[in-house]
Amino acid sequence: MTGIVLQQGINGIVIGSLYVLVALGLTLIYGVLVQINFAHADIVTLGAFTAYAVTHFLGQSYFAGIAVALAVGAVLGWLVNATIFSPLRDRGNELLPLIATIGVSIMLQNAMLALLGPIPYAFETPYSNLVIRYGGLFLTVQNVLIVVVSSVSIALLYGFMKFTFLGKALRAVAQDRETAGLMGINPNHLIMLTFVIASALAGMGGALLGPVLVLTPFAGTSVIVKAFAIVIIGGFGNIEGTILAGLLVGLIESFTTQFLDPGLIDIVVFALLLLTLAVRPTGLVAEKREENV
Amino acid sequence: MGRQRFWGRSLARSRKLRFLLAVVVIGLLPLAFTGSYWRTNLIVCAINVLLAIGLDFVLGYAGQLNLGQSAFFGIGAYASTLLVIKLGVPFWAAFALGTLGAGAAGALLSIFAVRLRGHYLAIASLGFAVITYQVLLNWISLTQGPLGIYAIAPPPTIALRWLGRIPFTDLANLFYLTAGLTLVVYVLLDRMLRSPIGETLTAIREDEISAASLGINASRWKVFAFAVSSAVAGAAGCFYAPFVGTLVPDAFFVTESFTILAMVIVGGTGTLIGPAVGAILLTLLPELLRSIGDLRLILYGASITLVVLFMPGGLMQAWRLLRSRLYLGAEVP
Repeated sequence: MTGIVLQQGINGIVIGSLYVLVALGLTLIYGVLVQINFAHADIVTLGAFTAYAVTHFLGQSYFAGIAVALAVGAVLGWLVNATIFSPLRDRGNELLPLIATIGVSIMLQNAMLALLGPIPYAFETPYSNLVIRYGGLFLTVQNVLIVVVSSVSIALLYGFMKFTFLGKALRAVAQDRETAGLMGINPNHLIMLTFVIASALAGMGGALLGPVLVLTPFAGTSVIVKAFAIVIIGGFGNIEGTILAGLLVGLIESFTTQFLDPGLIDIVVFALLLLTLAVRPTGLVAEKREENV
Repeated sequence: MGRQRFWGRSLARSRKLRFLLAVVVIGLLPLAFTGSYWRTNLIVCAINVLLAIGLDFVLGYAGQLNLGQSAFFGIGAYASTLLVIKLGVPFWAAFALGTLGAGAAGALLSIFAVRLRGHYLAIASLGFAVITYQVLLNWISLTQGPLGIYAIAPPPTIALRWLGRIPFTDLANLFYLTAGLTLVVYVLLDRMLRSPIGETLTAIREDEISAASLGINASRWKVFAFAVSSAVAGAAGCFYAPFVGTLVPDAFFVTESFTILAMVIVGGTGTLIGPAVGAILLTLLPELLRSIGDLRLILYGASITLVVLFMPGGLMQAWRLLRSRLYLGAEVP
């Protein structure tokens, strides 16, 4: 019994750290812009397919795949901001960018569906079949890789936001865009930077997700709904909250699969979301700071 | 100014004229299209118009994005069908209960999220759509899951003394029924929006704080708008089930919410006629362009994005622009 609990705990943390990667991008953008990029999901999917193409067609290493997926994500983020968010910024309707990116998401998803078909791709990395056994526990090197890469990126992001000049400038823009502008910070550049960072994380998340999830053009969508739940549970714009909520949702997912029924995952996660909205709409993690990047 | 006076004829009379025109067009359509293929499409149009004006009520007027229309559509369809099949409830009672049930679900959902920004409501409703889909898929003892419910009977035959028996196995009659209901809902929503309710909702959309300073309880009205919108989607579902004859959860996947959203956005939010036109256009256009096949959804996605970017008022804005170009004297509203 303890074995099962530990094993599912590990699985939960693996999937949870992936969710954190995806959700952090959403929360970063929301923190700076108070906007939702619905196409974030498809950047994840495109990242997964990019890594697949690099490893399976070009025969490069998996790490090269991750790097290319990261770059593709960054470029897509730049594009989404330049074509959608930037032109709509001064329209004054908070829902317009969300609606426009829903359109982008439908387009990307169905374009991928037309090109790649609905049949799942088998994304095998050299690490998928390397198994570490310890006691009764079971872990693939791929899983270790996922946790290590996401933890390192999350730590880097955290350090960047906390300690670098650029990170401080970003937080300044998030707190008060106009005042930051008066201090000589160009908000447009920093908003662009936010999109690039957030989408690069999403692309990389996709490359890591590809081998563990069912890789179809809809792979990102199944993740993004949970990512939305995570950012609300953690508090929109709150990095620590998002990390905790992401791991929590990962654990919920693995334990629901083990002890209840996989079909109930979304239902349990959504129940938690509604509970959060009812009890503590600013997120489960106490928000004592005024800043919430 | 002469032209102005000509166009400025009594608005109420022009509305009555338009209503009569709509009745005549609805009456003539099945006579013009006798094939079952086009009659089926006409019914799909009527159902989609219903869904679109329902969404526009909450999105275009109250300014709240409801991404859960697919769920409320599904709740209406499954609730009414199951009531008829499992409990033997008469169709019209099941219709009323399905509509009310969907409305109640919408109200309940919005209570959780109305205190917050529109984004939260959008995501909560999206999550709700995902959950509803999962419930329909996994509650096999009730919904038969992915196998679906088959052989759903059409609405029962109505016997009227002066018209005789009207069987709804006939597609023309079924079209009259769905289009008639759609027209009734349209007129009801239109009346509601022209009453102070419409101004209240618009005030909330424009500025919640100013609205509150005028004594408007924004939360209550958002719940109201959400409930009406969901109930209309539920009503559409009650007709969808006996029209298609089969119910599978996939018909109520989140994508359906986005399809409805595309109709509203393309038509033009904040008007009722716009989304109705948008629904008809986006239903018929893919049928006319058969060769595009599976690219239908790409067309929907592209239309949403392009309209938001370049013509945020949709077809209605395009129409107003065109009219102001044609009649140079008229003002651009």
